[in-house]
Amino acid sequence: MTCLIFIVTLVLAAPLGLVVAFGSMSKLRPLKWLTRTFVWVIRGTPLMLQVIVVFYGPSLLWDWSAMSREVAVIAAFVINYAAYFSEIYRSGIEGVPRGQYEAGQALGMTKGQIFFKITLLQVIKRIVPPMSNEIITLVKDTSIARTIAVREIIMEAFTFTTRGLIWPLFYSGLFFLLFNGILTILFGRIEKKLGYFRV
Amino acid sequence: MAILEVEKLEKAFGGTRVLGGVDFSLEKGEALAIIGSSGSGKTTLLRCLNFLEIPDGGVIRVGGETVFDAGDPATRSESEIRRRRLHFGLVFQNFNLFPQYTALKNVTLAVELLAREREDFKRRRSEIFTEIEERARAVLDSVGLSDKLASYPHELSGGQQQRVAIARALALSPDILCFDEPTSALDPELTGEVLRVIRSLADKRTTMVIVTHEMQFAREVSDKVIFIDGGVIVERGTPEEVFGSPKHDRTRRFLERYSGG
Ligand SMILES: Nc1ncnc2c1ncn2[C@@H]1O[C@H](COP(=O)(O)OP(=O)(O)O)[C@@H](O)[C@H]1O
Ligand SMILES: [Mg+2]
Repeated sequence: MTCLIFIVTLVLAAPLGLVVAFGSMSKLRPLKWLTRTFVWVIRGTPLMLQVIVVFYGPSLLWDWSAMSREVAVIAAFVINYAAYFSEIYRSGIEGVPRGQYEAGQALGMTKGQIFFKITLLQVIKRIVPPMSNEIITLVKDTSIARTIAVREIIMEAFTFTTRGLIWPLFYSGLFFLLFNGILTILFGRIEKKLGYFRV
Repeated sequence: MAILEVEKLEKAFGGTRVLGGVDFSLEKGEALAIIGSSGSGKTTLLRCLNFLEIPDGGVIRVGGETVFDAGDPATRSESEIRRRRLHFGLVFQNFNLFPQYTALKNVTLAVELLAREREDFKRRRSEIFTEIEERARAVLDSVGLSDKLASYPHELSGGQQQRVAIARALALSPDILCFDEPTSALDPELTGEVLRVIRSLADKRTTMVIVTHEMQFAREVSDKVIFIDGGVIVERGTPEEVFGSPKHDRTRRFLERYSGG
């Protein structure tokens, strides 16, 4: 369950975050403020609360409780991480100096060419370190799923403690360490690969 | 016939008039120096020529063809503007090289992308790329950087970066090459190498518009000089006229301030 929450959140929140990022940079004022308020609310409240709201909210408001615990957790995670990712994307995109676009324009490039050939890689280079942090946080945040009794790894391990066994809890810690260790190495590689130029 | 004609060019930013009807023309092979104090509208003028800003009024003609006419919406469309930008090259004050590409790739990139629009591109792809690269090497050689082809911008000094930027603009063979204070961001000991390159372009009769605070250089290298103040041309003439015997008080006061450098 822990892995599933992690993978699905990552796969859905990463592109959704991009949509939110474009919304928050939109020239349409209402859209921009709506998106920014959404991001502000999501980032300003605890993920645990959001999980609870997504799971219990619909049934309290509309007497509608079709959502399974697992779906509720994943939905809350996707929304939460899309908001966080969007801020990372936004700062990455806004961090590219105007002069880069203008140099491309002055050289007769199209908007698409400027995006794909000039800014994209610079944005990626800028966002890899904060994304790596955020994704490692996501791994640890999966433990919040137990708030609404979704059987993530710590909860599984915890059931053993009631039988007087502490080792499963210890192993679950080891699992997180290992998982994040692999991610750290992976992101380190990407950063190194992009280290040949400076932005 | 003049290669460049600019008539009544106007630009305002949110009600503040930055260019108040600028007129000038330039013959092929001439170098025009634009001088004036900071905030007088020099950068805005160059940006208008390169369509990084869309002028509010006026006409721009290149070789007799109207490339911009504020009164004619057809000349203001996005796709038209991109094509017409290619008449002009622009060298920025702070270089704006693409950091992820080598010096050589910085020079070839735009030319390669443009070549894709050629009808014989699919058939002659590798030939075309070879030609582009050869030409880029030649241009980089002409700015004295044949040993830096594989260097990334952060590995180059400011003077070298600016010379790559000049080569990058030259590679597209613009009709008119514009410079916006090309040495202002450089340490004093690095300005010489950049000015030498521009001087050699002038010797080759490259048509240029040069905004600069290097008065001695402007005097030596240009065929015409314009002094701009508050978005209007206050004085114009040959370098001898403008620097030697300025007619206007404002020009004289400006030149006195810069007489040191
Ligand atoms: N994008 C802009 N928005 C608002 N004002 C601008 C903008 N660009 C330039 N200006 C203003 O226009 C005036 C002329 O600027 P500029 O053309 O850069 O002058 P120069 O290059 O001669 O120093 C300045 O007062 C500047 O503040
Ligand atoms: Mg300027």
